[in-house]
Formats: sequence, structure tokens, C-alpha cells
Amino acid sequence: MALRALVRTLSETCITIGLVIVLFVVYLLYWTGLRAAHASDDEIARLHKQWAQGPTGSAPAHEGTAGGTRDSGHDGGTTGGADELAGDGGAGDADSTAPGHRAGESFAVMYIPRFGGDWSKPVLENTATATLRRGLGHYTGTADPGDKGNFAVAGHRRTYGDPFKDFPRLRPGDPVVVNDGDTWYTYTITARPYRTLPGDTGVLKAVPEPVDEAATPFRRSGRYLTLTTCDPEWGSSHRLIAWGRLDATRPTAEGKPDALTREGR
Amino acid sequence: MYGWIWRHLPGNVYVRILISTVLVVGVVFLLFQYVFPWAEPMLPFNDVTVDGAAEPLGTPRAGGAA
Repeated sequence: MALRALVRTLSETCITIGLVIVLFVVYLLYWTGLRAAHASDDEIARLHKQWAQGPTGSAPAHEGTAGGTRDSGHDGGTTGGADELAGDGGAGDADSTAPGHRAGESFAVMYIPRFGGDWSKPVLENTATATLRRGLGHYTGTADPGDKGNFAVAGHRRTYGDPFKDFPRLRPGDPVVVNDGDTWYTYTITARPYRTLPGDTGVLKAVPEPVDEAATPFRRSGRYLTLTTCDPEWGSSHRLIAWGRLDATRPTAEGKPDALTREGR
Repeated sequence: MYGWIWRHLPGNVYVRILISTVLVVGVVFLLFQYVFPWAEPMLPFNDVTVDGAAEPLGTPRAGGAA
């Protein structure tokens, strides 16, 4: 009798563990995605509401610098005003420690048409676990969108809505559009994603310095974008990095940039 | 275990089924709300950052992420 009770208890324990594992997989594949989609939508809605109410809260910090030297010049010329203040210090990361954002709070929306016409995610300050559950994370200490230096952003490849699932499909020339409420910044990817080791922090520098020097994307200081995610898809042994350079800016009031109207919808 | 719980539930079969359902839903809720979010960062696909970048400003790093 005791043996029967033992076997029964053992069986029930195994079944229970199996069920919990199945539930965990459901949680990872579906529940985190649902939660992340909800959180992202909330963040984007909050941003749009905040932007509709007037100037963005963090504007004073980077208004002066964003106007410095427009890499493109062919649009966005109307912003003027701030240009005189900004100058072009030349120091690549002079303003890269923008204190304008509160930790864990969203301050911009990113659009990558390559990932889908309706792909848009909020960019939140810092890369903590809790932050990345709600959207993309901006590496604290790197430049703001459009600023001189390197605007670096991390995102989940898998789980939490799989924002960077199609990361390896990024190709040179792909636009990455960022809107911070004042301006549309259109970055253009300059090379195929670069695969590296997790400790390769040089990729975040104002002028990126990857361990593999052959992959160095830029030689001079400028307005750059760095995207990071994990590789392989479900692992963490490596990281994938994509770089872009600022191509065009356009005041939000003038509507979506060409990169979005052309490929979207 | 399950037999033991079933025997100790009050009421007739229908009441027991009802209470069992509530118990199962409660356990699933606890797992989804507390246990899984706690366990999930220990899995590898959370590590999407290159380390050290945010540390100068004291940003918390994903728990022990490699």
C-alpha cells in the first residue's frame, strides 16, 4: 500500500512539473508578447498625448544641440533658431550624457519599415530588464536621437513581442525612423548586422569601435545609430549590432518622412 | 496529492468541481503573475545588451546577465 502511494505521488509530481513547464512556455511565447504589446501601445499613446499637449518635457536639454549641423540639409531647414546656439563643438560625445530622460520612461517612437509597415515601438530610457519588457531601451549615456554621437538602442529578439525578431534581415539602405515629438529623424542602416561577443561595448561609442576592426562602420564623428539584440535567436552567446547614420530630419509638424510613407501601408 | 485534496474539499461533486476550478485558476494566476516573471530573466534570451554601456550612470543591469 505504501508503495502504491509513493508511486502515485511521484507520478502526480511529474505531471505537475510537466504542466508547469508547458504553462511557462505559453507564458514566454504568448503572454509576454501580449503584455509587451499592451505596454508598448500604452507608452506610444502616452507619448502622443504628451506631444499633443505641447513642447516635450525633455526638449530644453537637446533642443540646442539637435539643430547644430544637419547632416542632410535638404529638409528640416525650417527649424533654425537653435542653430546659432549649438555650434559644432566637434567633440563627438559632448552632449551624449543628456540628462533629459527619466529612467524607464519613454521619450521617442521608432519605426523600422523593414520589420513591417506597422512596426513601431516606444524607446524608453535605460536598458534594465523591466524597461525592456515595455519596449526598446536607450543605453543611458549615449546620445539622444539626432544628436552628435551615437544613439544606441537595445531590444528583445524573442519574447516580449519579439521586437527585433527580423534583425538579421536589416540591409544597408534600410531606413530607421525615430520621432521624439519635435522631429522625425531618418537614419539609414550602413551595413549588414555585425555579430559580436556580449562584452563588445566599443560598438556603443560615439564613433563605434567594435572588437573586429574590419567591421568599424564609421571613421569620423557624426550622428549615428546603434541597435543591439541577442544572437542566436533564443540564446545569449553573441550579440547582433546594426549601425546607421542620420540622413534626414523633418519637423514633426510637417508629417511623416518619405521613408515611412513610401514603404508603409 | 490530488486525490487527497479532492477528498478534503467540502460539498457534493459540483461544489468540489467549482472549488477545484477556482484553485487551478488561482495557481495559474500566481505562476503568471509572480513565479514566471521572477524565473524568466534567468533564461538566456533576455540578454540583448552589450554590457557595461549604462553602468557609468548606475543603471541596473539585467540580473547577472552575461
